[in-house]
Amino acid sequence: MTGGSLSLSQISVRRSGRAILSIDHLTIPAGAFVGIIGTNGAGKTTLLKTCAGLIAPAEGTVWIDDVDLGRLGPWARCRLRKRIGYIPQSTEYNAELPFTVREVVAMGRTSLKPLLIRLDRQDYAVVDRWIETLGLGGRRDQTFRSLSGGEQQKVLIARAMAQDPEILMLDEPCANLDFNWKHQISEIVERLYRQTNVTVLMVSHETGVLPPACERIVLFREGRIIADGAPDAVLSTEVLRRAYDGAFRVVVAEGRRYTVNAESGGGR
Amino acid sequence: MSFLLGQTSSLAIDPFFYTVIAAGAIAGASCGLLGAYIVALRLPFIGVFISHTAMAGTIFAYLLGLNPTVGPVLVSTLAAMSLAGIRPGRSRLDPNVALGILFSLMLGLTFLGIGLTQDSRTEILGLLWGSILFVRGESVVVIGVAALALAAFAIVFNKELKVLLFSRTIASATGVHETFVYALFLGLCGIILAVNLPLVGGLMIFSLITNPAAAAYQICRGHRAVVLASTFLGALSAVGGFIASYYLNLPTGACIVLASALVFALAAACRTLTRRTD
Repeated sequence: MTGGSLSLSQISVRRSGRAILSIDHLTIPAGAFVGIIGTNGAGKTTLLKTCAGLIAPAEGTVWIDDVDLGRLGPWARCRLRKRIGYIPQSTEYNAELPFTVREVVAMGRTSLKPLLIRLDRQDYAVVDRWIETLGLGGRRDQTFRSLSGGEQQKVLIARAMAQDPEILMLDEPCANLDFNWKHQISEIVERLYRQTNVTVLMVSHETGVLPPACERIVLFREGRIIADGAPDAVLSTEVLRRAYDGAFRVVVAEGRRYTVNAESGGGR
Repeated sequence: MSFLLGQTSSLAIDPFFYTVIAAGAIAGASCGLLGAYIVALRLPFIGVFISHTAMAGTIFAYLLGLNPTVGPVLVSTLAAMSLAGIRPGRSRLDPNVALGILFSLMLGLTFLGIGLTQDSRTEILGLLWGSILFVRGESVVVIGVAALALAAFAIVFNKELKVLLFSRTIASATGVHETFVYALFLGLCGIILAVNLPLVGGLMIFSLITNPAAAAYQICRGHRAVVLASTFLGALSAVGGFIASYYLNLPTGACIVLASALVFALAAACRTLTRRTD
């Protein structure tokens, strides 16, 4: 598995006439692990959706591996998107349906097969391998809806990985999880990144869930990039003040960076 | 029903009604299968909208002297497929609100059509409750062919439909042909509802779409089990409702609606009483 590259140029995404995302230039090379952070409504999810072609920008171009996403017809766009493993926020999937864990993971193989062609034994071998890799062997025939939030997130990661993606996009994969699960999910993402060399874009509100493998952070505020670079540079008190209008500093523990309110000492 | 049956002294069902039972089973199974997808897509109003579109189409076809079958099927298929453009999250309108607005538009057109009809309104008003007791063999063949087309679609596009039901965002982002399959599904919805409408009526079709599927989602594990159970429970509701109306001498449409509601209540009770875990 090799990573894919992403590039955005002169992007403007508008809603009701208002620009909600404005990016002059952003390049994510193949095999990079990039953390996307920012304030509420900063455009983090919009960025992921624009990269995946779910939102068409009013202006600008998105390239995936030097292919202009906007110039592709619907069928060619589908072929290109096979390379994207996408894990949305929990509001964007129907967790109440009685799909089994194996059925959900097998969904990752769907776009790799042409229309009218069913998944075969080889596909299910890949599906079962990812179920085992993520430690879900005992849950295989259980329903997705009966799992805890952390286990559901594992299933979604297994589903995305069963697709053999070149680019993995995760939209707040640790939201609403307890700190144990946050740590577990973060470690799983890091392990998969190191094993497969997939390009990772991980959106998060909390810097602490971005694993040590994340060597670049892009910080957004009001649809614009405030800072882009190495974690130490982006998570400086000065930059964080500009983004969040508050005094924050970063505490490093086991390669992870936790933001701490510089005045009260509380951490995230 | 008493005016049709004359007497109900014999326990055996009059062979005259075998066609009715066949039609009910096919219509119930089609609606149950369709409902398995419609309920999961959280679009129960789609049934009401499309059936009223078909009603409006039928009435205006009648007024304009056009073919009473082809017109409504075309109109409701096109109306259904137009819904493919409404995307949750991207549109400012919730799909169910959009369906509500479109439904009221079709309802208005339906009643306008009824108002403009000079002669016999009985036939047109029959569209509300359907006229399954007067079904003819040709109609059974038509709804049977439509049901087979729906079953073939469900088998052929099974893998895409599962992703579509789970998350349209994931389907779209990861290269599944979701818009194509969704538009095709909506088109089939239009056809199935339009051809079944004269039999089961606009009001009954809603309960046959929603209740059996909602029951299946209560008690099943896995997509295949849901689809098969919903199809079976749809047929069971229609046939069970008809048989109950036959022996109890009650209105058929109402009995079918109540049977489908009973099926859901039993499924919900079964889930609660057995404390079934997934």
